[in-house]
Formats: sequence, C-alpha cells, structure tokens
Amino acid sequence: MMRASSKSSGLKTAAVTLFLFMVVCFTMLPFFQMVVLSFTSTLPRDGIVQGQFSTINFRNILASPLLSGSIVNSIVYVTLNVVITILVALPAAYAISRYRFAGDRHVFLLLIAFRITPPVVLTLPVFILFAKVGLVNSPLGIALVHCVFNIPIAIWILESFISAVPKELDETAFLDGYSLPRYFVKQLLPLIASGVGVTAFFCFMFSWVEVVFARILTVTGGKPITMAINTLYGFRTDIGLVMAMTLVSLIPGLAVIYFIRNHIAKGFVVRS
Amino acid sequence: MIAVRHWGRNSVLAPICWVDIFRCRRVGRCFRHNQQKRRQRRPFTLSSPYRSEIQTSSAWWLLLPALSVLAFVGVLPLLTIFNYSFFDIFTLESRYWIGTEWYREILSSSRFFESLLRSLVFSAIILSIQIPLGVFIALLLPRDGKLSMALLMMLALPLMVPWNTVPSMWVSFLGDPAGFGGRLLAMLGIDFDYKFNALHTWILLVAMDTWHWIGLVVILCYSSLSTIPPAHYQAAAIDGASRLQVFRFVELPKMSAVLMMALLLRFMDSFMIYTEAFRVNAGGPKDATTFLSLDLGEEIAAFNYGPAAARSIIYFMIVLAIAWSFRTIMNIRRDQSLGVGQR
Repeated sequence: MMRASSKSSGLKTAAVTLFLFMVVCFTMLPFFQMVVLSFTSTLPRDGIVQGQFSTINFRNILASPLLSGSIVNSIVYVTLNVVITILVALPAAYAISRYRFAGDRHVFLLLIAFRITPPVVLTLPVFILFAKVGLVNSPLGIALVHCVFNIPIAIWILESFISAVPKELDETAFLDGYSLPRYFVKQLLPLIASGVGVTAFFCFMFSWVEVVFARILTVTGGKPITMAINTLYGFRTDIGLVMAMTLVSLIPGLAVIYFIRNHIAKGFVVRS
Repeated sequence: MIAVRHWGRNSVLAPICWVDIFRCRRVGRCFRHNQQKRRQRRPFTLSSPYRSEIQTSSAWWLLLPALSVLAFVGVLPLLTIFNYSFFDIFTLESRYWIGTEWYREILSSSRFFESLLRSLVFSAIILSIQIPLGVFIALLLPRDGKLSMALLMMLALPLMVPWNTVPSMWVSFLGDPAGFGGRLLAMLGIDFDYKFNALHTWILLVAMDTWHWIGLVVILCYSSLSTIPPAHYQAAAIDGASRLQVFRFVELPKMSAVLMMALLLRFMDSFMIYTEAFRVNAGGPKDATTFLSLDLGEEIAAFNYGPAAARSIIYFMIVLAIAWSFRTIMNIRRDQSLGVGQR
C-alpha cells in the first residue's frame, strides 16, 4: 500500500516536472531565437558574412541617435506614468476602501469601463486633443494617456492592500492627532509599500510595451522604444537589429521583475 | 451560533437572529439577509453592526485627482468622438451633420458582423485556453522556494516584450523555416504555412497570444493562492476533502476576484487585438483574421473621421455591454454561493 502510493506520487511528480519543463520550453524558445538573431548579421554587409555571429546590431543601436535616444524616452515616459498613476490612485483607493458615499459602487464600475476602453477607439480624439494643448511628441503626453488604463488597475490593486490594513489603525492615528495626509505618509504608506510595488509593476508592464497610443502621439520626435522599432520595419527589415533592440528593451523589464519578485510571491487579493 | 433559525419578516424575534447570519444559507429568503443586503446597497444608511464606515461626501475630494485625469484622457476624447460620429468630415473645419448614417451603414454591412464574429471566436478561444492553463500552472507551482520564483519571473518575461516585436519574434521562430520552431515543425513533417493557410494563421495567433499573456494569469492566480493560510488546507485534509474539493471550496473562492480581473483584462485585450494580428498577416489570408480593430485601423489610416468615430463608439458599446453583463453574472453568482454576511 505504502509503496503503491509513493510510486504513484513519484509518477505524479515526474508528470508535473515534465509539464513545467514544457512550459519553460514554450516560454523560453522564442527568447532563445531572439537572442541568437540579435547576435547575427541578418543583412548583407561588407566584411561580415550574412548569418554570421556578430555584434554589429548592438553597435548599430549605439550609433543611431534614434535608437539609443528612444531608450531614454521610454524610461522617461514610463517613470512619469508610474509616478502620476500612483500619486492620483493612492487617495482614490483610500477613499473607496474607507468611505461609504453616494455612488461608491458606480465609481468602481466606471473605473472598469475606463480600463476596458480599447485604445484604438481613443486614438483619433486623443491625438486631436493633445495636438491642441501641445502634448504631441512629448513624453508627458504618452505618460498621461497611458493613465487611462493604468489608473483603474492601480486603484483596484491599491484598494485591496489598503482594505487589508485594519481600520482601527486609522482611528487610533486620528485620535493621536494625525492629519489625514500625515497619517497617510507616516503610517499607511510603509504598511502598503509592497502594494505600491506591485502596482508599479503592473503600470510599468502595461505602459512600457504599449504601441497604439505611443504611435499616434509621437509623429516626429520623442519616439519610445516601440516606435523606434516600428521605424525599422520596411521593405528590407533588418530583423537582427529589431531583435537586438527588443533584447535591450527587455533589460529594464527584467530589472523591474527582479525587484518585485518577493512582493508578487507574498501574494495579494483584489476585491471583486 | 449553531442553531440556524429563520424568522419571518414580521416576527418580533427577527432582530435577534442576526447572529446566525454567518451560517445562514437561505440567501434571499432570510429576513436578516435581505436586511443586510439592503444596508450594503443603500448608500445613505447609518453604519451597520458589521461595518463602521464613515458616511461622507468628502471622499469625492480624494477621488478628484484620479477622476480629473481620467476625464481629460478618457471622457473628453470619448465625447469628442461621439460628436464626430454624426458628421461627414472632410477636414475638421468643414463638416456636415448626417445624423446616424454612419451607424446604419456599419451595422448593415455583413463585413462588420463577420469581423465581430471572428473577434468573439478569437476571444473565446483565448479565454478558454489561457484561464484554465494559467490556473493550472499556478496550482502546480510550489507556494515558496527559489524554483517557483524563477519560473514566475520567467513567465513574466514575455509581458515585457514590446507588442510590435512579439509577432516578429514568433514569425522568425515558427514561421521562418530557418527558425528553431520552423525547423522542428519541418522535422515532424508539418508544412506550416501561416501566410496562406487560414488555420495556421489562427494557430500562430493563438500560440503567440498565449505565450505573451499566460504569465499575467499565472501571476495573478499565484499571488492570490499564496494568501491562503496553511490552516485552511489542514482543515480540508482533516475533513478528508479530495483535491477537487479543495480546489472548489478553498482555492477557487480565494481566486475568484483575481480571476475576474484576469478575465476582464484578457477579454478586452484579445477582443481588440490589433498590433499582433496586423503584423502577422495584416488580416489575411482572405480576411480570415480580420478582427474588429483591424477594420477600425484601416478607417483611421485612411482619415475617414466620421466612420472611424462611429465604429469606435459601436466597439466601445460592445465591450462595455459584454463586460457589464459579465460582471453582473459574476456578482449574482457570488451572492448566491457566499452568504452575504461573510465578507
């Protein structure tokens, strides 16, 4: 009996391992392809045989102000977006978590509506609107427009973290003479730090890779990485250069994932 | 606490049965249940015995920054586009009121309904693959340890790839005969032709989208699973619960909110898939992968402001209607499965 069960559990472990291994292969193989291509010269060039190992793609990135500049543009607009989103989402999440007020249920539905608004739907008017106020070609414009899908997500996540903090803490702090802003910064924020981290991760994730708004808002300048890559597509696409650029664009993402790993694993629940 | 008594609506004893509400399963029929439900739904009530929220309108001041940003980048554009959809626009200065003609034109074209059907089918396939698979992977990962951390980080990696290079990666991986996937398929004797074979284009799109987004579902599920206290599992083991029962009664309730989020996000992004589908085959072969957003992209690229605006409004309404009905269904089901008193 014992042996039979240990045998079957051994089989089960093997099956799980095999399945997870397949998941790993499925996830990593395209990346492997990408890395190989990024170190390959994919266009005929003088002095390098096509298909040969080479670092020419990375040298090309450094040589092109458009490509290397786009990395800076991307980092600037994503940082702006994350900061704006968290700054406005924190008080909103606190309000939704702690107060009952007329229309509180509708606010939540409204937020979901914003999150699911397809970007393609908004492109045209956003461009016209931003052109009027001079936000086209600037990182601030992209940062602002990405708020439309990031603020709802941020409020959703932060609200659950704030709700996990017992309300007695608020009440004690207010009795001790804390004002709301001071309580927020001094006591609540340290407690929900990992929530802010998780939120920042999600905002980064949705903003860093976004294409539709980024294209419509960067006509002549301020192009982020995604748009710099778009300019590489053409009649004769240098796929090696595209992949090298993708590899570079993954580095900040990888760093963010690394910083956030413990918070993700620690777990969070969101409100339904 | 064990005695579960149900008092009639008019019974004088009704007020004392609220203690039992935590065990009461007669949702909708028990007086206290209804009473409490009414308290939760109605915004202006005195605080209930269970929750001592502050009743105030000053909450709106805290919401103001978020709502004003959303009004600027969300509401204003939507209103603009709603306005445009009733005009025939040559340039933005010279436009002619034509009423609902664009709407009638779009809604009477068979092309619109074909695209809608394709988008719906695509979303259905994506959801029915990614949600169960994501839950399954999250369940298989150990709750702690370096290995599952590494796996999680790895699964999150595709989320960071720019959306316009995801298709390039997959085309050079699977579509190109020189790619690893392409070579593997050739070795297996499969003639993979995503350019001209509609089924293969669909397979490529589904595989690509699953690769891209499965990490999101896994991360969301995993993070909610790791908040389940070990005591719950021990209690389930003592009760002799089967694995399926543990999933159904311990894990699924914990994940329901997060699954809702994953479903909504995945539904919206797959329903409005644009960049990926366009880059792979530009809606081909023979319109077999022309989704709703590709039609809209065409109109925008051609500067047909009026039709593009009308189309945008129609799409927005579709997405809103689906999400709203979806949420309503989820809410009803949750109210039924959980006692309202257990929050």
